[in-house]
Amino acid sequence: MNVWEQPGTIAHSLWNTGKPNCPVYDMHGHMGSYGTIFFQRAEADQMVAHLRRTGVTKLVFSHHHVLHEPTVGNDIAFKACQQFPDELRMYVGINPHFPDNTKRDLAHFDAWQPYAVGIKFLADYHGVPVDSPKYAYALDFANERKLPVLCHTWGGSHNNGADNMLNIAQKYTNVTFFAGHCVFGDWAGAERLVKEAPGNVYLELTAVPGDFALVERLVAAVGSERILFGTDLPWFDEYHAMAGVVTANITEQDKKNILCDNVERILGKNW
Amino acid sequence: MKDLIFNDALCQVGVQVRGESETPTPQELLAEMDRNGVQNALIRHINLPLNGALLSNDCLATFLKNDDSGRLRGVWCLLPDCCNELPPIQTFLDSMKENKIAALTLSPFNHRWIPNRIVIGRTMDAIAERNIPVLMDAFDNKWDAIYAFVEQFPKNKLLLTCSHKHGFDRFLRPLMDTYPNLYFIVSGCRVPEGVNDLVNLYGAKRILYGSDFPHYNHGNMMLPIKQSGLSQEDIQDIAGRNLENLLKGGQL
Repeated sequence: MNVWEQPGTIAHSLWNTGKPNCPVYDMHGHMGSYGTIFFQRAEADQMVAHLRRTGVTKLVFSHHHVLHEPTVGNDIAFKACQQFPDELRMYVGINPHFPDNTKRDLAHFDAWQPYAVGIKFLADYHGVPVDSPKYAYALDFANERKLPVLCHTWGGSHNNGADNMLNIAQKYTNVTFFAGHCVFGDWAGAERLVKEAPGNVYLELTAVPGDFALVERLVAAVGSERILFGTDLPWFDEYHAMAGVVTANITEQDKKNILCDNVERILGKNW
Repeated sequence: MKDLIFNDALCQVGVQVRGESETPTPQELLAEMDRNGVQNALIRHINLPLNGALLSNDCLATFLKNDDSGRLRGVWCLLPDCCNELPPIQTFLDSMKENKIAALTLSPFNHRWIPNRIVIGRTMDAIAERNIPVLMDAFDNKWDAIYAFVEQFPKNKLLLTCSHKHGFDRFLRPLMDTYPNLYFIVSGCRVPEGVNDLVNLYGAKRILYGSDFPHYNHGNMMLPIKQSGLSQEDIQDIAGRNLENLLKGGQL
């Protein structure tokens, strides 16, 4: 019996019904056009149609245009969430070069409830290390409110590598950090980050599912309780990414932890 | 699963020099295929870029001699004939069947030759006459070279792969639009519903399932194909039938 044929499993449900038999939370998404890639489905209605078709419960996203065009504010993400209140939640995207924008948008955080659930840093692209004082305002804000902060991370980076992340995780202990892409390539660094941080770092899987035996390696290193599911939607297909988790050689409970249980432990069931 | 057969058009075997990946015997590969529900696979040798055609072709033939499942067929690597490294092309092609080789590939930038008609024209023409498919691995993302190559060999059945994770439609679509003998293996097709979009544009007959194992898992691309919402005919074509038909068409 192959992995798709085992009754009662998430894989079996996806294969036979097209939907998972548990909630699935995609904790790393974007929205909107992007320069280097053609996206057929980058607008809110197209992305939500994909979420509904694939059975993904919720997507938390930061808007490409906020992250890459300083004249665009996070209200663009709020408006998308208002259109699709069941499926979409937002990170407030931060560009450390524009502190006035950061203050302006975080001042709306309460007004953007229940959609705004955290903050997003994209340090490699903005060229400012996450442990720079330029992020202090946003990190203090998140620390006071015990918010999640999703950081793009990558192995070998001096902006958002394991050491940068460990510095802020140890300083801002009320923040729950999601290490986007699991510090891709620096697997030892990812493990060290989770183990040396004071319990406030999760590895987020975008770009990992599909790489042979990598989900297994991360689960062995840090435990499935410290790993979250994500896709970078509209970059990557939800079915493709879910398949990477459910075909991994890990237990069914590991898969459920990654796809839903860990998020429900962090954010609850009704968010 | 039994009414939907997945044949993997892009699979690699062998032991890498730094030990990054190890599929030393057919049994290991077949076990992983079985775990995911893949029936057959077209296999290349993983050390082909570094070890070259001569050694990797030999290693692949040895690997296949140890397989009695009938589920694996190989891909040998071509070289231009200017240095007489491989046997004469007809002799080379004649030896494929007895070695369980069903398709060919080329790796010009790793093996330091220029992929054009001057260099490999006679060889590619002989292959086109026998209708043998040729896998192209996107020439290490040198798309201008792919464009030039495909333009010079429109009669060859070319199976293009691009396992880069990010979307590449702006590279791929003009080629698919222009060359009806160009096929695409979807191992790197990760954009949401990207398989559906390609099928809607070019039909299902030119789209093939491939995993790029062991870089990627077998299972990842299976689910987007199975749940694509395309017709069952189209899904069966993409999953396995197109590859089967292409290999059957080769005169070995």
